[in-house]
Amino acid sequence: MGNSIKRAGTVAITAFAIGAAGAHAQEITNAATTTAKPMSANLVPIDGAMLEKAGSDAKNWLHSNGNYANTRFYPGAQINAGNVGKLKPAFVFQTAVLESMETAPIVINGVMFLTTSFNHVYAIDAVTGEEYWHYKHKMGPITTYCCGPNNRGVAVEGGTLFMGTLDAKLVALDAKTGKLLWETQIADPDKGYSETMAPVVIDGKVLIGTNGGEYGIRGFVKAFDAKDGKLIWTFNTIPEKSEGVWAKNDLTGRDMHRDIEAEKAAYAKDSSFYQTLGGGVWMAPAVDLKTKTVFFVVGNPSPDLYGAIRPGDNLYTDSMVAVDLDKGTYKWHSQYIAHDVWDLDAVSPVILTQAKDKSGNMVDVAIHGGKTGHVYVHDRATGALIRFSEAMVPQENMWVLPTKTGARMLPGANGGVEWSPMAINPKLRMTYAANLHQPMTYHVEEAAYPGGKLWLGGAFKTIPGEEQSGRLVAVNLDTGKVAWTVKTPQPLIGGVLATAGDIVFNGEANGWFKAFDAKTGKELWKYNCGAGVNAPAVSYMVNGKQYVAVAAGGNNQIDAKRGNSVFVFAMP
Amino acid sequence: MIPMRSMVLSSLMLWSALGSAQGGPAPDASIKDKVDTCVACHGPGGNSASGVFPTIAGQTGRYIYLQLRDFKEGRRKDPNMDAIAAALSQQDMLALGDYFSKQKQAPSAFKADGAKVTAGKKVSDAVLCPMCHLGGFEGQNEIPRVAGQQYDYIKKQLADFKAKRRTNDAGNMTSVAGGLSDDDIENLAHYITNLY
Repeated sequence: MGNSIKRAGTVAITAFAIGAAGAHAQEITNAATTTAKPMSANLVPIDGAMLEKAGSDAKNWLHSNGNYANTRFYPGAQINAGNVGKLKPAFVFQTAVLESMETAPIVINGVMFLTTSFNHVYAIDAVTGEEYWHYKHKMGPITTYCCGPNNRGVAVEGGTLFMGTLDAKLVALDAKTGKLLWETQIADPDKGYSETMAPVVIDGKVLIGTNGGEYGIRGFVKAFDAKDGKLIWTFNTIPEKSEGVWAKNDLTGRDMHRDIEAEKAAYAKDSSFYQTLGGGVWMAPAVDLKTKTVFFVVGNPSPDLYGAIRPGDNLYTDSMVAVDLDKGTYKWHSQYIAHDVWDLDAVSPVILTQAKDKSGNMVDVAIHGGKTGHVYVHDRATGALIRFSEAMVPQENMWVLPTKTGARMLPGANGGVEWSPMAINPKLRMTYAANLHQPMTYHVEEAAYPGGKLWLGGAFKTIPGEEQSGRLVAVNLDTGKVAWTVKTPQPLIGGVLATAGDIVFNGEANGWFKAFDAKTGKELWKYNCGAGVNAPAVSYMVNGKQYVAVAAGGNNQIDAKRGNSVFVFAMP
Repeated sequence: MIPMRSMVLSSLMLWSALGSAQGGPAPDASIKDKVDTCVACHGPGGNSASGVFPTIAGQTGRYIYLQLRDFKEGRRKDPNMDAIAAALSQQDMLALGDYFSKQKQAPSAFKADGAKVTAGKKVSDAVLCPMCHLGGFEGQNEIPRVAGQQYDYIKKQLADFKAKRRTNDAGNMTSVAGGLSDDDIENLAHYITNLY
């Protein structure tokens, strides 16, 4: 995200926790599946048609972000702006893992599949919370990961669940029993690769990216055969020729203060660093079914802050990229920040929707909420930038270069919008983004490749005494104007759910899970979950009743109070 | 944290000399020969009796693994360790890390100076050592445990980081050590060795 991990008031590198052992040994040993009760007969295989139409399916939640377009827009309106004030907890499901929860549960015909840190998976009754089975991944001896031992959920196709693991494997589970069907090694965890994202499955292909931009990996998105885990294609997010166009300005036109002549000379001497240039892909790709195109954003270059040893634009880091679904071949890219030395990269998943172009015609677009604090709207066919939004968070001193003693710049290196997925309400023409505001200083330090160890090339430091906060922001897709902003007492990480009931659900690190009027931002309802709500909510219906589910497990990255539970709400 | 130290020193030294017998599990047969090689310098169970060689008993398994890998792959240099690590497989390195991490560390036998311990803590707080090494210097993940480490070894590592003779940590320690004076380093070494 490069995930810049900075806990409040501390030096960044401390929170780039890696390695799984130690205090959490109990969560990663004794791998097994335990069965608590026989699976519900209502669980049905999910075919391609159901997955494609998930965006209009109010009964199920079949993709981590709701549908292939990643809109996180739930089409049901039983719970709506008029009645959400009466929402009550239906049940709380406690997992056995007290650590960050970033999971977006999948719900099929009243059966919920949720994940925890350290790659546990639970199947539970989505009405009562009763457990069907519990799967613990057998973790390999080496794990290397930034930003917590998180997992963001499973993907489903047919009767199979797919999950990426901290030791960089892809596992396939029988949804009915939780038994392991197959597993395949995606990349070498000893070199810094790990998996926390929810995969995407389409037409028998499992799409998955990789973490590791803080460890000098060479990033990718890969497609595996859903039947057996065999590799179908790889798109390297770092091409061998990574120099690009030597962009002077960022995509919004601001000078990045590069010494391009010096960079060109250094690049001419040695361009082999593409093999350790980073470029992780942290979140589920979006898929355009009409054009068979996969869209994702690519994270920061490695090392994060020390740019002298990686001259050039560092393609395709900090970019939105489109590739062919069948072959994984390049279609286009659009780079937000060339030669990033701030870790203000691109993480939050791409959403496919429509918006007005510069002539006022409604066109297909691909949008991204950036760590910069802008929402970027691209022409989906070409990648051309149609507009960028007003800044959602304070911006100051962009783009001052990092120094040894530290240069102050806003946003801080977590953003803006971190990995948190946005949600849209197409009728209201809005996208909703969860933002952080963390003033930081950026420090650079010369650093040779340390061989798969944490490689920042400096540090990000929060500034003692400066207030941190969050911003839940609604942005008009057609104008880029901010429609409303809700300021929260703590930085926001987790992601948003929007519904046809014109509500926006969002969680906070202090345990509050809240519903807002999607038109105005007025707070309509809240419930305190007792631990950080730093995961995106989902919604579904069983027997004609709508439910809203969200994990409250806290967060490693902003050190929000840990919990172990999924809370589910419904009308009394 | 200084009281009692000198009074128990002699018994500690005896305990240390007795070494690993009661200090942790016995090595797996597959690495027994390799453990024997390690303890020839690092002491029984990894409790060194010399400032030339670090104590590795109780060190995190991950740190030991990563250092062995760096010696093997040339990112860290040492006249003794280079050749030893070159002969180790990944499995050996993981197993050795696991073995020594489970050995009980013996407290430092170094007689720390109280005033220097106090001064060292001030330096530690000023340059934020605990942010990575944690407050008791017990380490985490790839950050090593250094509490109770050999005094001379601590001094040498800080000096090596400062002079960029050691660079396998992605520059973090060079950044910190760059601002330390010789006195700071000496005081820090008194403080850290005295922590356990």
